[in-house]
Amino acid sequence: MSYYYKSIQLSILIFCFASSLFAQFSGSNLGEFQYGRLPNDSTSVATVYDRIVTSYSFGSFKTRVVFEGFETGIPESDYLALSQFSIRFKKRPFELEIGNFYETIGRGVLLRSFEVPGAILEDHSFRSRHYFHRDMLGVNARYRQSKIDMKFIYGKPLNYVFPPTIEKESRRPDEIAAFYIDYNLGKQTLGAAMMTHVNGIHRDNYSMINTNGSLFGKLSYYTEIAKNISDHELDDFSRNTSYGIYSNLNFFTNRLGISFEYKNYNRFVIGAGINEPPAGIKEHTYSVLNRSTHVLQPDNETGYQFELFYTFLNNSILTLNTSLAQNKQANTEFIFEEYFAEYDFIMFDSIDMKCFVDFAEDLFKLEQQRVSIGFNAIWAMLTNSSAEIGYQNQRFDRLNQRVQNHVLALDFHYAPKWSTNILYEYSNDPFLTERTSARWLGVGLRHKLNRKNSLQVFAGNRRGGPACQAGVCYEVLDFSGVEIRFTSRF
Amino acid sequence: MKSIYLFFAIVCLSHLSNAQTVPNFLLKDIKHQMQSYENLKGEKLTLIDFWATWCKPCIKAIPELNEIYKEYKEKGVNIIGVNCDGPRSISKVEPMSKALDIEYPVLLDIDSELRIDLDVNYYPTLIMVNQKNEIVWIHEGYGYGDDKLIIQQIEKQLRND
Repeated sequence: MSYYYKSIQLSILIFCFASSLFAQFSGSNLGEFQYGRLPNDSTSVATVYDRIVTSYSFGSFKTRVVFEGFETGIPESDYLALSQFSIRFKKRPFELEIGNFYETIGRGVLLRSFEVPGAILEDHSFRSRHYFHRDMLGVNARYRQSKIDMKFIYGKPLNYVFPPTIEKESRRPDEIAAFYIDYNLGKQTLGAAMMTHVNGIHRDNYSMINTNGSLFGKLSYYTEIAKNISDHELDDFSRNTSYGIYSNLNFFTNRLGISFEYKNYNRFVIGAGINEPPAGIKEHTYSVLNRSTHVLQPDNETGYQFELFYTFLNNSILTLNTSLAQNKQANTEFIFEEYFAEYDFIMFDSIDMKCFVDFAEDLFKLEQQRVSIGFNAIWAMLTNSSAEIGYQNQRFDRLNQRVQNHVLALDFHYAPKWSTNILYEYSNDPFLTERTSARWLGVGLRHKLNRKNSLQVFAGNRRGGPACQAGVCYEVLDFSGVEIRFTSRF
Repeated sequence: MKSIYLFFAIVCLSHLSNAQTVPNFLLKDIKHQMQSYENLKGEKLTLIDFWATWCKPCIKAIPELNEIYKEYKEKGVNIIGVNCDGPRSISKVEPMSKALDIEYPVLLDIDSELRIDLDVNYYPTLIMVNQKNEIVWIHEGYGYGDDKLIIQQIEKQLRND
């Protein structure tokens, strides 16, 4: 196997060297060294992860090759793999891609693939690390013009839970064939999709329609209705059928923007989870809120989200958000509701200030009366430097216990090359620690060596837990040790 | 050992790389109308800003980019905002763009098609492209003082033109 990979690498190298004058070669590299402990590790472990992306363009063709490797000294965790390979042909209005690619149908109710930039996924049971993405392996053919967009997709989506050390069949258990078309009628667009999904012996057919457009210059809308049509009639939306309904209405006028979303999903987890309907819950950047977000349950969830943005004449921004999610499991109903407000403004001409307050009830996680508050202040100091301080506090009741989380962050930024930060976290959550409280302290440094290379160093303890990034939620493990990340472009 | 081998292979290859160019991409704008890069690019320079609604530094950069756009659009410089929100938050792009009063075109890259094509791994990332569609400058992140840096680069590239 090793000989096979080396041959591929050598072939690519020779090909690129020989043709570099006539074509374009580009790429990037992400390398990360860790020395430290994950939860349950008794001793510190040294690991190296590396991901190299190379692209080669020649006329209407483009190839993309991604190698990924991980070394920790444990044979069953180590790998060096050709994790993605694709050839694309683009001659407008036709596009054809064979190999690994990313494709989403509509808003992801039927199918969503993604890549979370810079995120390395880690699973304690495999003790391995791999890039966080869900791609497709197959064929993607597209016809795209100003009025019409058609795509035919055949492929096997990746189940990202498993690292490359697991055999291919387990990593790609689903197989789909889908056709999507949308047509633009001036300010309105109509779309439809059909998808066949096979997982083992199960075969299901899905249909989807969507429509979007603008009304009266100040309103826009999007609606998507998808359904499993294998087992029930097209118009049957009873509780024992599989369907997903998502709708969104926007209103905007000078400096004001309002977004309203509605969701209704029932038995709509496709295969190993190849779809990802919109969650209708705000993705927060404040860590106490991001960590305690509600994770969508497409098996049974209804709800809504409302968000308002207003930019004042002095450029300060007000954001208000509320969301509701209802889940039914057996005879029990769980409700998640959240109210969030943030104000971003300039103070004393040189301090950029953000304050937030959030109230939530999360019966799914048994969190009641959850109140979170915090602020973030950036002080512009000298010509190119700024200092930043942020504090977040969260309190809630769970099983007659009062839980508290605190986050304190200090940053110093010297443009354009240096930034450093200190992060301290405290929690008395009994789900996290058997002691009365737990503390995490970490120090970070980022240095841009030049416009193509940068270096990041972290030392200390980092708190894990659920994290949501780029619309995808996943679990981050606690880490204690030193981490060095080097990224480069070429 | 394998990682070291790969690292050196890439170092060798990096010396052969030519200036990366931006392909003539086709994406829908916030009004769901198909737009091409050829139609939107600036006469002399184009700045492509990759951003997302949930990214705080991205939102911080937008008013500054708006000012830069107003100042330089008559000098042949255009800005294209490429929003990278996924299905979870893409519904907020249009109302947020209106609330922030973004004057330059904003395109939607829900499939990460252009982001992956140009190998963008941070938000925000600002890519500066010359008349020949060559990438001449890349800036990742946004902090205090970065607006001055962007203006310096624009002036430098316009002088080289």
